[in-house]
Amino acid sequence: MAQHEVHHLGEHEYSYWPLPVGLSVLLLPISFIALMVWQKPMLALVFGGVSLVLLLLGTVGWINEFFSKGHEEGLGLPAMMFFIVSEVVIFGTMFVGFYMARVSQAEVWSQWVPKGMNLTIPLILTFILWASSATIAFAEKFFEMGRNTLSALFVLLTIVLGTAFMVIHIMEWLHLWHAGFTLSSNMYGTSFYMLTGIHTSHIVVGILTMIVALYILLAGKANQHKGHTYIKAITLYWHFVDIMWLLVASSAYLIGSLA
Amino acid sequence: MAAVSYKPYFSAGLKEWIFTTDHKKIGIMYGVTSLLFFLIAGLSALAIRMELYQPGLQYMSEDAYNQALTVHGVLMQFWWAVGIWSSFGNYLLPLMIGARDVAFPRLNALSYWLFFAASVLALLTFLPGSQIRMMWTGYPPFSLNDNAGPVAFYALIIHLLGASSLAGAVNLVVTNLTMRAPGVTMKKMNLFLHSFLAMNVIQILGVPALAGAVTMLLMDKYFQTAFFDPARGGDPLLYQNLFWFYSHPVVYVMILPAFGVISEIIATFSRRELFGRTSMIVAIWGIAILGFMVWVHHMFTSGMPDWIRILFSYTTVLIGVPTGIKIFNWIFTLYKGSIRFTTPMLYTLSAIFMFLIGGLTGIPLGLPAFDIAVHDSHFVVAHFHYVLGMALTLAAFGGFHYWYPKFTGRMYSELWAKIALVLIMIGSNLFYFLQFIVGLEGMPRRYADYPAIDSWVRLHELQTIGAMILGAGVAIAVMNLLLSTKLGKKAEENPWQSPSLEWLVPSPPPPHNFDKTPHMPEDWDPYNYEWLEKQHKRQ
Ligand code: HEM
Ligand SMILES: [Cu+2]
Repeated sequence: MAQHEVHHLGEHEYSYWPLPVGLSVLLLPISFIALMVWQKPMLALVFGGVSLVLLLLGTVGWINEFFSKGHEEGLGLPAMMFFIVSEVVIFGTMFVGFYMARVSQAEVWSQWVPKGMNLTIPLILTFILWASSATIAFAEKFFEMGRNTLSALFVLLTIVLGTAFMVIHIMEWLHLWHAGFTLSSNMYGTSFYMLTGIHTSHIVVGILTMIVALYILLAGKANQHKGHTYIKAITLYWHFVDIMWLLVASSAYLIGSLA
Repeated sequence: MAAVSYKPYFSAGLKEWIFTTDHKKIGIMYGVTSLLFFLIAGLSALAIRMELYQPGLQYMSEDAYNQALTVHGVLMQFWWAVGIWSSFGNYLLPLMIGARDVAFPRLNALSYWLFFAASVLALLTFLPGSQIRMMWTGYPPFSLNDNAGPVAFYALIIHLLGASSLAGAVNLVVTNLTMRAPGVTMKKMNLFLHSFLAMNVIQILGVPALAGAVTMLLMDKYFQTAFFDPARGGDPLLYQNLFWFYSHPVVYVMILPAFGVISEIIATFSRRELFGRTSMIVAIWGIAILGFMVWVHHMFTSGMPDWIRILFSYTTVLIGVPTGIKIFNWIFTLYKGSIRFTTPMLYTLSAIFMFLIGGLTGIPLGLPAFDIAVHDSHFVVAHFHYVLGMALTLAAFGGFHYWYPKFTGRMYSELWAKIALVLIMIGSNLFYFLQFIVGLEGMPRRYADYPAIDSWVRLHELQTIGAMILGAGVAIAVMNLLLSTKLGKKAEENPWQSPSLEWLVPSPPPPHNFDKTPHMPEDWDPYNYEWLEKQHKRQ
């Protein structure tokens, strides 16, 4: 062939991290199947464990590489916007389920509303999330001003608020569940737990992204040239999760419990 | 071009493949996976046709038949008709816009590995006890029934594919919108790019709806939720609505890229700018938007008020308009063009012909008065095999041949490619045209058996023969493409003389595509063939 063959693994042409992440995502459903379909809990445990290890390895490596190689192009922000659009549709499917049942089962619905359901808790949760929206906005502002420590402090505050939200929410679930209102009671139970559950899973993801933010802020990996898009993107994501909560709470709690 | 040349892909080691973030290698990995599953799905189709050759059950149990049909449907829809465009999109999109790679190369690799993960899961469904038989539509309540097999496979496969498509779609949309080289303006974008943009936007809006629907299946089966259980306020129609809200638009995810490929090939081999280029772009977006407003035409017999059926009947017929515009534009492009009947052109013209038949039978299917009679019959099956099975596949093979010199640096065998096309056209038309007829005569779809009515038996026999010829044609085409990577003669740098950006780099392109970001001049356009001639003269 040619005189010189230029086919080394160039800097931007390879990365070790997508493969382990991909494999970990493969093992997750296999673990679920091992448990639920093949009925082999030990196998499920092994797959699940390996999956978790691979996921950790892959994401940590990925994040490290992301913040140490290449340069900032700012494309993460439009990507996050498109991703949020698709998230809206995911929530949309659950809303469709909820409202189809709410309308078509209006006559029996009132029998489905559990006694323990009240609006105090969702109100408290709403205030917590609002506060967290404010703290993350401050974190972003301070980062832009170059005050990383202060920014990290506000990220930490947001994490605390997010965790508080989660804990209170889980206690509320347990309370309702023990009162006999479960995932399988009826369509109210199903759509209540699915809507709030999917929302809380987003809180978890949000908190994980903020832990990464905390790390890059404190490790000095975030500055004017680096990490900017990341902070902006996760702020956007968190605002989205907050806004979604208003829709979720007003449907699952308010419209759900109006008899 | 440059004095250095690059090792061809095929001599790259395993490590270079599995850790690659090069969009071209990832594109090839998508393509190979997609083709492999296309062949598995094709074999299961032949098994289905063998069973239908005669009435009665000869080779398969009913369960096995249902499994074959499910495998065929799922693999063809998701791995072939959707998956193959991930291959084209990944390989060609950055080249066409003059970029070095996609916006998020690592995410791109992850997209492929998710696709790969779904493939592994799909292969696991061949294990005993894991077979799925719920058809590609996975309708409850049947899919929740143990007879249908573990719905976890179906749902989780779709989750993995969905995550892969979503990441891929976001990646390609952002790449297309933000990374175009100077001079490659929105107005000068290839129609291929416009098609892929629209297709990926559909993915971003639609995939999550399907993901939501199958999540509900999963929850209902394994966590006893009430989504599809009427006794507890649920509704199986919820599934149908969510499923088709995505799965009608998905047919445009499949066919818009095919339109894109057809447009490129028609322009190149007519040597003129596409007729009505602006109207083409408007039509693409018209199709994408209207595509989300017609899903109920799959549910005309599911029980609903008449006004809804009438409404969706109108929107369905309406979508024929932008579709028709595209066909007319292609034909007008041919008119007064200097046409070259090369192999890719012949595949493309065949694709248009097949699309016409499929599209024209789609319109009556959109009319409830007609559809109620033929719904879930072989007529519907024939309709979507003309558009999806044939038009899409022919366009994809047209694309394979058209960009073959680009992908591999070699030429395929003209003779075998043409023999394959002739076999494909004879086989498929024999097969699918008779499928229309047997469908009109009342043959319901998804049955392993049928009454021994004389005309039906004859029609089924001929269909099976057609399917065999079609299978032989496809096998020859694929063999030709595979063997020519070694045996084909070296291709010229720009064998079709196209000024489109992907043809202005060496074949196969170097890992970084462009040594310098190209700055395209005012008078350049992907369809300005005079520009290319002027460049040649200048050299
Ligand atoms: C002119 C455009 C088209 C119209 C008006 C149209 C109309 C329809 C209608 C009304 C049905 C439902 C029939 C029934 O189940 O009773 C249908 C089914 C189908 N169409 Fe089309 N169609 C068109 C183009 C396409 C294209 C371009 C594709 C794919 C590339 C496609 C793929 C399908 C598939 C896969 C089904 C069957 C789905 C299933 O039940 O498994 N159609 N079409
Ligand atoms: Cu449709």
